[in-house]
Amino acid sequence: MSLIDYLDPLVAAVLLAGIYAAMSIGMTVIYGVMKIVNLAHAGFMMMGAYFAFELFERFHVHPVIGALLALPTFFLFGMAVYWLLVRWLPRSDQPTLSSLLLMFGFWLVLQNVALLIWGNEDQSILTPMTFSVIRFGPVSIATVRLVVFVLAVVSVVVLQIVLRRSWFGRAVRALIQNPYAAQITGVDDRRTAMLSFGVGIAFAGFAGSLLAMLYSFSPDFGRQFLLRSFVIIVLGGLESFSGVAIGALILALVETFSILFVQASYQPAISYGLLVVVLLVLPKGVAGLLEKKWRVA
Amino acid sequence: MTAARLGKLAVPFVILLLLLLFPATGPSSDLVKILFTTFVWIITSIAWNIVGGFTGQVSFGFAVFYGLGAYAAALLINSGRSPYFAFLGAAGVAVLASFLVGLPTFRLRGPYFAIATIGVTEAVRVVMSNVPFTGGASGYRITEYGPFRQLEHYYQALVAVALAVAISAWISGSRFGLALRAIKQDQDAAAQLGVNPYTFKLWAHAIAAALTGVAGALHARYNIYIDPTGGAGGVFAFTTGISILLMPVIGGIGTVWGPVLGGAVFGIVEEEIVVKFPQIHLLLYGALLILIVLLEPDGLVGLFHRIVRLFRRRRDDSGGPRADKVLWGRSRLEGREL
Repeated sequence: MSLIDYLDPLVAAVLLAGIYAAMSIGMTVIYGVMKIVNLAHAGFMMMGAYFAFELFERFHVHPVIGALLALPTFFLFGMAVYWLLVRWLPRSDQPTLSSLLLMFGFWLVLQNVALLIWGNEDQSILTPMTFSVIRFGPVSIATVRLVVFVLAVVSVVVLQIVLRRSWFGRAVRALIQNPYAAQITGVDDRRTAMLSFGVGIAFAGFAGSLLAMLYSFSPDFGRQFLLRSFVIIVLGGLESFSGVAIGALILALVETFSILFVQASYQPAISYGLLVVVLLVLPKGVAGLLEKKWRVA
Repeated sequence: MTAARLGKLAVPFVILLLLLLFPATGPSSDLVKILFTTFVWIITSIAWNIVGGFTGQVSFGFAVFYGLGAYAAALLINSGRSPYFAFLGAAGVAVLASFLVGLPTFRLRGPYFAIATIGVTEAVRVVMSNVPFTGGASGYRITEYGPFRQLEHYYQALVAVALAVAISAWISGSRFGLALRAIKQDQDAAAQLGVNPYTFKLWAHAIAAALTGVAGALHARYNIYIDPTGGAGGVFAFTTGISILLMPVIGGIGTVWGPVLGGAVFGIVEEEIVVKFPQIHLLLYGALLILIVLLEPDGLVGLFHRIVRLFRRRRDDSGGPRADKVLWGRSRLEGREL
């Protein structure tokens, strides 16, 4: 194999990393602010996929527009779920068993609702874009993957700017750093929690509708991506937003290049194996490692 | 010992006696099957509670031990061993697996441990769906010579349940159990007092795995055919792991009788309702989970205690803690760190 043969998987890995980052960042926001491991993330991703699917099938809305529409829709959906269920959970600065079980129960409900509405068959969204390919010199890229990558990266960057510049973002980061100090300085933690739950779910739905352009989906959709999100946010150190980007890139690279060495049917085991290894070797994630190395400021 | 206490102690033995004599009434084979399945679920529920309830380590990975127990028993029976040897073998394999899983993952705490167990389950399921010598994803068949005697299965499962309850009750009252509860409340404080959290967690995990492995073996031998993933019946399926976790939560975690009650309710509901409404069983479990978490975190046992207290208060309304305080007292799940 020459160097050029490695270029194709490398490009594929980077494109994959974009969508991986978008799907994991919502989980990081929710975990950071509320210390809830959102097991229902997969359910919201699956709902996002069906959201884009329904818009496309019924109203012929292009899936790219559908994905953009998913953002506000799932933001409201997430806030409603927070208001109905999540806010009754006991508050804690550590993940609690009740929060884990509650989100898990909600995931089961979402799965079953989708099963009742859309049945068990695999669905997919096919547009003219699905089969077209762009060539850059020796590398060829599926158009749809490029579009998804661009959307995902833009959304993550916009979220990053919001978190850096707005008062909401400052409140979020303050709550992540030190919830007690944040409350003393006047951060309304309930309101911020509700908003950040909405943001987290908005990104889950958005990522789901982007993934629907790439893969076929069923009500069971999302479990593999839930586990991948875990790997990514654990790699990233659970609460770090830049860590998510790094984690997404590492996972995408490992997954893409492992095909060269491992039989394809065993490939899912790689990312789960990676999860356990990372948890053991780097419990604070890559971000924690970097923090330790360069603790200058 | 007061009479009331003696009566309380006698209840389990009376139930056991009734279940022992029950086949003499000539029940239908459907009913025996429901009871058998319920026994198997109760065993896994008790096992999960040892790790998840007493020790406070939430694991999504019990399908691993259930499945490995089932496969180990299947392979042993097919090589001509006696079923009892197969059950022991299943327990042994599950214990080995529990160390393989536990040695690395118990270095982790709380949510990290819970997430790691999801990873382990999925990895094992993927591997078992591809291993050629057990038929991979298409499943594995057990061939046993001799007639199928349903009551033999029934009694084997009943003995296993009794054993599991005895182990659980022993742990609950022993120093070992106290150490586990100490770890659940505050791992660091427990370590300060000379309880090594790592080794105690490993032993609790091993005991739980052995019980779960036997449950898997009972299931495999009764059903003759096992497969890793297929729908709700797959021994390594994600839903199997969920069911095992759900039962103690329904019944009330951290108690001896909660998981038994939860397993019994779950087993009967699973056999009765899922058969009638297979399309909404996830919805039922999900809604149940949400309701329990938000309304009665102590499960059925908590509900029972609440009702008992309500009646007690009616009888003597003088003094004692205020009713609303007792009713809404700090519950076991609430605010507890994982």
